[in-house]
Amino acid sequence: MTKKESPGTCHETHDEADRGGCEIARRGFLDQLKCAVAGLAVTAAAYVLPLEGQTALGTEAASIPAIPGYDWSKHRWAYGVDATKCIGCLRCVKACKTENNVALDAHHFRTWVERYVYLDGHEKPLIDSQADPVNIAAAGTEEDYRFANRYNNDDVYKAFFVPKLCNHCTHPACVQVCPTGATFKTMDGVVLIDHNYCIGCQYCVQACPYGARFFDHVRRVTNKCTWCYHRITKGLMPACVEVCPVEARIFGDLDDKESKISQFIKNNRVQVLKPETGNGPNVFYIGLDSEVV
Amino acid sequence: MPKHISRLIMLLVILGVVAYAAKQYFTVNSFYEFGHYRGNSVADMASNKPKFKGSASCKDCHKDVYKQWSEGIHYNPAAGKVVKCEVCHGPGGDRGTKGMFDHVSTGPDHPQNMKMIVPTDTVKLCVVCHEQIAGRPAQQKQIVIADHAGTQQCTVCHNPHSPLTINEAKPTPPIGNVTAGKADVDAAGCAACHGPTGISDGLPGPNLAGQNQPYIMAAFRAYKSGARSNDFMKDIVANVKDSDITDISAYFATQSCKSAHNGDADAEAAGQKLALASKCATCHGTNGISRQPVWPNLAGQSKDYLVSALQAYKNGGRKNGFMTKITKDLSDADFANLGAYFSNAKCQRDGAE
Repeated sequence: MTKKESPGTCHETHDEADRGGCEIARRGFLDQLKCAVAGLAVTAAAYVLPLEGQTALGTEAASIPAIPGYDWSKHRWAYGVDATKCIGCLRCVKACKTENNVALDAHHFRTWVERYVYLDGHEKPLIDSQADPVNIAAAGTEEDYRFANRYNNDDVYKAFFVPKLCNHCTHPACVQVCPTGATFKTMDGVVLIDHNYCIGCQYCVQACPYGARFFDHVRRVTNKCTWCYHRITKGLMPACVEVCPVEARIFGDLDDKESKISQFIKNNRVQVLKPETGNGPNVFYIGLDSEVV
Repeated sequence: MPKHISRLIMLLVILGVVAYAAKQYFTVNSFYEFGHYRGNSVADMASNKPKFKGSASCKDCHKDVYKQWSEGIHYNPAAGKVVKCEVCHGPGGDRGTKGMFDHVSTGPDHPQNMKMIVPTDTVKLCVVCHEQIAGRPAQQKQIVIADHAGTQQCTVCHNPHSPLTINEAKPTPPIGNVTAGKADVDAAGCAACHGPTGISDGLPGPNLAGQNQPYIMAAFRAYKSGARSNDFMKDIVANVKDSDITDISAYFATQSCKSAHNGDADAEAAGQKLALASKCATCHGTNGISRQPVWPNLAGQSKDYLVSALQAYKNGGRKNGFMTKITKDLSDADFANLGAYFSNAKCQRDGAE
């Protein structure tokens, strides 16, 4: 082994024959790297710092989303369901699908209606919804919805309908588990999904204790009720509330003490579904049995 | 610090800086604006166009229908029951001007390709709210379909915009060839039971003179299909061509009638009260002249024929959801009174040419 004299002698050199001029190259490279790191750091800082400043400034300048004529800090939306009034006509389900471009089939619903039927001598109810094959057969098509006259009315001890939808929880589990920040809670109390950021992992579908979310197999994103955010921010009612012929669905602003929802909650003994999950649901029901969860 | 450590740190720093720069580069500006999400997405979602417009948007163009609706039972805000236009007709879309729907000639197609739904099968539409099924609260008006009208369209009787209003339709001029009809009548031997001009006058068949043409045609078809069974008629209609049904019915419908008038006065008075109480008048008119041409006139029909028809409905010989339900609670004496009342009434084409 011979030792090559060169300014770039490497202390850890092992095999000079193999390494050749590497000593110079490595030292030079390291020197260059020092410069590069410093340079990158400066560049990055120059790029990043103003951005952060901009963000901070931006937050101050526009503290509310740019929705014409709407300030989300002035509303606190909530929803009420009067199960004693629901006639199970399913016009809400149909209207919701039309309004929100949800696939017209029996598998994807932003809102749906369940029927609880207690037959004489039975403790547990029979539960069906518009997605039940018997009810689909009664409607004749998956594009329309109808509850079939499937029980002998003489055998029915008690029966009622329960409309369901996303509860727009105060502490939503679905938002907690979203890995991309695609789903979030707005200041006015609505849980939304940003379909540009949703990667379709469906953790939120699993996390929701109410089964309110479904996977859109065409767009490969999760979908759910938005309380028709595009309507309520324009002063309209959600489509399901708009078409309900018997006022079984109530929607409004909790910050307005005279609103229908405020009066509904004030004048009735209301309950929420699965309060034990700690999600803090914001759909308030009256007229439910304990069997309804 | 040993060199390999400082190099490692240097590497980590490089990685960190690159990662941070990349994140800043790829994360949109509005992310974290309001929280851990893209701030602009809120306004994006709020900018979608609503499709359901509310009934007020229908008011300006559909004035008459809107008035009927707003005065009818489907508009009852005091009771919290309002069946809005869009519940049955579908969403009005996002345009606030005429030509909202493509079947209206005043404008181009709707931007979202939405058409106003004009429901054709009301038997399927109305029952989504009004069929009696488990779960529907008692305060909702409900029907057992088979007992109510079966497969008959709800809109034959009900004005859908104001359902408590019962539709009324004047008889229309007969279609078909009356002269050809007379020849067919002679050939088929109708006169044996119904009389040569449809006045049976003691013969076994019912009066046909002046009867509503759509009803005669419906009865003919019912005999042909077996929905209505009668051994005599079954053999006779088997030989009648479908095209002849129109002519024959046109012939009888245009003949002048003569009331059988074979009920006594006491029975007639009792029958009149009953006719109103039993809802006969809802369809057959207070005087036995029906409110829709598809239903038979009863005025001037033979008492015996009316009684036998009522009995047939009661015991299932003739089938009609309404008539079965109505006759179920009536006695033979009631039938006799009703028969007397309607047989004494003045028939529709009494004294006509």
